[in-house]
Amino acid sequence: MPTAALAPAADTLPLQVGMVLVCVALAGWVLAVWLLLRQPRLPAFPPEDYLRPVSPTDLPVDPLPACAVVLDGLGAIVQVNEEAASQFGETVGAILRHPAARAALSAALRVPVLSSAYGAGGSTDSSSANGVPAASRADLPPVCSTTFTLDVPVPRTFHLMLRRLPGGKGQDRRVLVILNDRSEAQAADRMRMDFVAHASHELRTPLASVSGFIDALQGPAGENPAIRQQFLGVMRQQSERLKRLIDRLLYLSRVQAHEHQRPRDLVDVADLMAVVLGEVAPRFEAEGRTLRLQIEDDLVIRADEDEIVQVLLNLIENALRYGAGEAEPLTITLSARRAVIPDDRWPADGGVILGVEDDGCGMEAHHLPRLTERFYRAGAGTGHGTGLGLSIVRHILDRHGGRLRIASAPGKGTTCLVWLPPARGSLAVPTGE
Amino acid sequence: MADRSHIVKSYEQELGQLRSMMAQMGGIVENQVALALSAIADRNEEAADAAARQDPEVDQLEREVEGLAIRLLALRSPMAGDLREIVAALKITGDLERIGDYASSIARRSLRIRMPENQISLSGLRSMGRLVQENLRRSIDAITQQDSNRAMEVWHSDRAVDEYYTALFRELVTYMMEDARNIRACTELLFIAKNLERIGDHATNVAERVFYAVTGDNLPSLRPRGGPASGLTGAETTQEPDVR
Repeated sequence: MPTAALAPAADTLPLQVGMVLVCVALAGWVLAVWLLLRQPRLPAFPPEDYLRPVSPTDLPVDPLPACAVVLDGLGAIVQVNEEAASQFGETVGAILRHPAARAALSAALRVPVLSSAYGAGGSTDSSSANGVPAASRADLPPVCSTTFTLDVPVPRTFHLMLRRLPGGKGQDRRVLVILNDRSEAQAADRMRMDFVAHASHELRTPLASVSGFIDALQGPAGENPAIRQQFLGVMRQQSERLKRLIDRLLYLSRVQAHEHQRPRDLVDVADLMAVVLGEVAPRFEAEGRTLRLQIEDDLVIRADEDEIVQVLLNLIENALRYGAGEAEPLTITLSARRAVIPDDRWPADGGVILGVEDDGCGMEAHHLPRLTERFYRAGAGTGHGTGLGLSIVRHILDRHGGRLRIASAPGKGTTCLVWLPPARGSLAVPTGE
Repeated sequence: MADRSHIVKSYEQELGQLRSMMAQMGGIVENQVALALSAIADRNEEAADAAARQDPEVDQLEREVEGLAIRLLALRSPMAGDLREIVAALKITGDLERIGDYASSIARRSLRIRMPENQISLSGLRSMGRLVQENLRRSIDAITQQDSNRAMEVWHSDRAVDEYYTALFRELVTYMMEDARNIRACTELLFIAKNLERIGDHATNVAERVFYAVTGDNLPSLRPRGGPASGLTGAETTQEPDVR
């Protein structure tokens, strides 16, 4: 009978259950010990899943022939390729936190990623390749783009293109950003506006003086040979001043026109100084003018050689012109050295400091902040300069990512220091541009 | 950042969100200042409206950052560098919010200015504006990169902003003495210059807090000061902007 057969089994049921439980516990214990022993040979926890939300080396952005940045879902920068680092340098952060860029980022993140869109491997090669990608283009997340302008450090217009990237767990909220510089059109506009402003402001003064003297010469004053000579002399001076002004303005416009392209050539500072010395040597033949040199060896900067020579020439010219009167002695020290790292006046990544120092009359502190303004002249009696020299210096240094510091006090001379960023070897891409 | 990672993933995520919100707020405030300056310098009324319109967004972000920071403090009991960063974030949002307020005040003021016939030169104001923008950009870079050196750089160049303010004050007073009809416009411009100087001060405050958050040390409470008093020892100026 089935019931009779079940009865003894029902009696021993607690025992059986107990034995099974013991067995399970034992097996579990053995398994735990086995796992514990095995664990050191296993990778503990895949680090990209727990410790680092995104592994930093998994996208090949460096070979891309464009300025590329990879952002995570929160807008933090995960990768910047070398092209972008060399073109945009420290402004990358400011570009990517601009409200327009943020809006484009959230728009790019709103579209879901279909894993089929990027092919089986989930690799980005297909989207960046020239030909037709593995999947049809319709599946790819759309490109969100935006254009905006930043004022500092140099006014530039940027065009950003963003597309969401696929990825594994924890990596699926990444966005590839391609940065483009659209500043050129804007620079042309600005030059035109600047020219109108300058023509009305500064060029008219010498012109008015010349035409005033012409009127006088056409009147009775023209009859007297002595007065005629004197007037013609003044007119000559004024027209030379006008010519100098126009030359300077043209040079300034040229510097501004390519202000947004960082220089790429490597320049040896010793060579540079040799050029400068050749140019200024005749100015130091006069009595009481001394030029001293303090130059460290093996300094290399990434610069446009002609422009940095122009910077030093302008600074030396200013020291000669405003430092001391005709007969007074003047010593100018030209120096070049490595930036000492714990010096908090400069950015902390090394670099080179060029200095032009004089022991002349110096100037009042309130002039200092305005010196590099266009047409600003310290003191009323200094009418010979164009008022553009330091403005040119400033624009050249903006282009190089450099800094200018001027220290001066009356009677104590003036020190101009130029800091230039270090030339990193990894970016040495000689281009034929 | 691998050495600063945390075992608890959501904690790391919340910190990342805090940083992201700070960067976003910084970006909006930078844009506001740029718009406000364009409103005065280029007489751009659209920019003036746009600058004022962003105020509520900044206020909202400030509240959100505060909420998140308090939540992190209460639930995660952060230590050392994290604790300093979160506490600094609480204060930095206040500074950024003030900067936004000053920017929209400049923008509103620019709409009220009636420029007199004889042109008052705005080149000084423009240059000062660019210098302040540059400092603001560097201090927000210092927040997002947690970079104490950049913070130091801002801290040192605040003196140039102060000197600029003194120079502008002198210039505007001269305009007022020349012609009484200039007084109205010049007074407005004086307030604008003062607001710019305050923006510079707040940017320096931000830099000080970043320096504290990164290094744990405080910068000396006596800031390098500009203005007439500093002329005795030989004042220094950083590269300041030009008219464009």
